[in-house]
Amino acid sequence: MESKFSNSVNRRFHRRSLVVMVLYVLSLAVMSQAIDHLHPKGMALYLLALLPALPIVAAIVIIALYLSEQKDEFVRTLQIESMLWGVGATLTVTTIWGALEKFAHIRPMSLFLVYPLCCVFVFLARVVVKRRYR
Amino acid sequence: MKNRLRVLRAERDWSQADLAERLEVSRQSVNAIETGKFDPSLPLAFKLARLFETTIEAIFSDEN
Repeated sequence: MESKFSNSVNRRFHRRSLVVMVLYVLSLAVMSQAIDHLHPKGMALYLLALLPALPIVAAIVIIALYLSEQKDEFVRTLQIESMLWGVGATLTVTTIWGALEKFAHIRPMSLFLVYPLCCVFVFLARVVVKRRYR
Repeated sequence: MKNRLRVLRAERDWSQADLAERLEVSRQSVNAIETGKFDPSLPLAFKLARLFETTIEAIFSDEN
């Protein structure tokens, strides 16, 4: 059971995240349709390509807001610990992949996948960290 | 860090959820502190001391 305050912080976090995820899907659809049908060039192409990255930046800001608004220090510690493990795992995987890509010429990994990969690692880390404190 | 939270709580017949509500934290926080898996910050330790009308040293001890 979480405190009432913690619950409201969580609800706000989930509401904001949902909005950002909807914007992410919409921006991906708009960007790919526009590039396929309008064939933009130059600055227009750059701006369109940047469109799906903006909700990801917003998602990072939302996580920062969550951490600053979360007054339950234990819940905040769990989240920070999970994020540290998640970021560490992401850096490890991408560094190894980068080395293999550069020197063993394996298939390049899209940098666009780094954030979703980090989210998966943070989620997995959260499961492990929560079990540790059970 | 060892603590007497469980005893103090039992003396007042409070559940972990009751204590969590009074402290405005999650029940998991109370459980983690009680079992010694999580050490509270100084402000939370003071809050606990005020709630139980005692001193921080009477609740927590640094022996292993």
